[in-house]
Amino acid sequence: MKNRQDLPLTHDIAARFLPIIVGLMVYLGCLCCVFTFFVFDATHSWKKQLTTHVTIEIPRLPSESSDTLQARVLQLLNKTPGIRQAAAVPQRELESLLTSLVGTTSSMDLPSLPVLIDVALTEEEPIDIENLEAHLKNMDAQIQLMDHRAWQAQVLTLIQATIVLTSTLTLLVLLTALIATKFAVRTSLLIHRHVIDILHLIGATDEYIARQFQIHILKQGLVASTLGAALAFLTFWGIMFLLENIGFSFAFKATFFVQAFCVFTLAPFMTSFFMMFFARHTALKGLYT
Amino acid sequence: MSDFIAQLNDVGHQYEEGPEIFKKVTFDIESGSFYFLTGPSGAGKSSLLKMLYLGLKPTWGSLRLFGEDPLKMKPSSLPFLRQKLGVVFQEFKLLDYLKVIDNVSLPLRVRGIEARQARKHAEELLNWVGLSDALNVYPSILSGGQKQRVAIARAIVTRPQLLLADEPTGNVDDEIALKLLHLFEELNKMGTTVIIATHNQNLLEKSPNPLLIIKEGTIIKTSPQRKSS
Ligand SMILES: Nc1ncnc2c1ncn2[C@@H]1O[C@H](COP(=O)(O)OP(=O)(O)O)[C@@H](O)[C@H]1O
Ligand SMILES: [Mg+2]
Repeated sequence: MKNRQDLPLTHDIAARFLPIIVGLMVYLGCLCCVFTFFVFDATHSWKKQLTTHVTIEIPRLPSESSDTLQARVLQLLNKTPGIRQAAAVPQRELESLLTSLVGTTSSMDLPSLPVLIDVALTEEEPIDIENLEAHLKNMDAQIQLMDHRAWQAQVLTLIQATIVLTSTLTLLVLLTALIATKFAVRTSLLIHRHVIDILHLIGATDEYIARQFQIHILKQGLVASTLGAALAFLTFWGIMFLLENIGFSFAFKATFFVQAFCVFTLAPFMTSFFMMFFARHTALKGLYT
Repeated sequence: MSDFIAQLNDVGHQYEEGPEIFKKVTFDIESGSFYFLTGPSGAGKSSLLKMLYLGLKPTWGSLRLFGEDPLKMKPSSLPFLRQKLGVVFQEFKLLDYLKVIDNVSLPLRVRGIEARQARKHAEELLNWVGLSDALNVYPSILSGGQKQRVAIARAIVTRPQLLLADEPTGNVDDEIALKLLHLFEELNKMGTTVIIATHNQNLLEKSPNPLLIIKEGTIIKTSPQRKSS
């Protein structure tokens, strides 16, 4: 038997714009949310891979003293609290880096390249960077200490701002769907005021009438948001396909795909349930006054 | 519960932009009684019924229904008071987007009765009022008399404690009018208190029931077994 509705809600003008708005909002919300997860995951693994926080540059001196200076610097670094690891960048690595930058190194006087020491810090213990720099300058005034943490922190802040922005957008998009629901229900209440009066007169409780809205909005919400999420999934799939084709080298972790899958499957249910409760609340409030 | 279904005490009503229709009306409706509410057109029959089905607030005076004061009740409790009523509206108030059978079963569904069972009850009743051919049509295509019978079926399908009918025979010929009167009397015998607003003299003469006569803003109650005038 066809599911009977005691209010003619399906024929509303108000009913027509709601699925479009909800579908669109769920589409945008899904993509926004997945992007947030992507940035979050990418940052997390970038932070893990980030091993060089500080670099120390020792100028190339006459060969004997240079090696001893390097040894003394390493010794100092290993004693300094707050340092997890300190290691000289192998000379060959520097050469290949240079080769890739300027082409050939044949005309260059390679031994005059400075020695670079990459320093990784630990998070458990703070480091007194000024004190360290003073000690290094004491050993040789030409030693340079380059602290990368400032720009790294800036990049992280930027990324975090992006995450905050996209999650806020996701919430705003959901909110838009809910506000649209509220307006649709309010409009319906006005349109059907006459019928609602009759229902009241034959003994219907506000609860009964609100349930009509609730069921109707739940159905509408489910259809619209499922379509929205399906389209978002196709878009996501398309973007992944494109990225792979243009040789984007970022290694996506399996957890990211699990998260994305959850977003696409849960979004329709969450959205339509929220819509349902909003519809119920709006209807009950509107009927009471 | 009190022995009175309805008690009106010095009730009056004045439409905001209209006439004062009652000054000080005081009367009781005993449980199980059957009244005709009569008076010339525009006297206030519909308005009085409206007050009884809680569609119109008295401007002054007090009203009790089933021993309770609806004006002092929480709005959320009013539906439960209305669920004890069956109302045949003068303008029917059928829902055009529902089929006849769904219109008639609606009061049952509203009271929480399962849809299939509600439909069965509605069908029986519609057969009884002679509308077995019209179960699955929409009310808009029915004649005035047919709509009236649908409205009556909807009002009595719940076996209400109090039936209020506003000119329920206004659109049917005398033969059907008498059949409907018989239906109301049957219902009354089963315990439903009935108030019928009518100016159908024929109906009034055929029935021994007492009258509520609206006259110059008050109501005169006659006793049963009156002599027909
Ligand atoms: N909603 C309303 N606003 C103003 N006046 C009304 C309204 N409804 C009815 N009236 C007036 O109240 C009087 C009584 O009307 P009504 O109760 O319908 O009488 P009856 O049913 O006996 O014909 C009439 O004069 C009518 O014009
Ligand atoms: Mg009238």
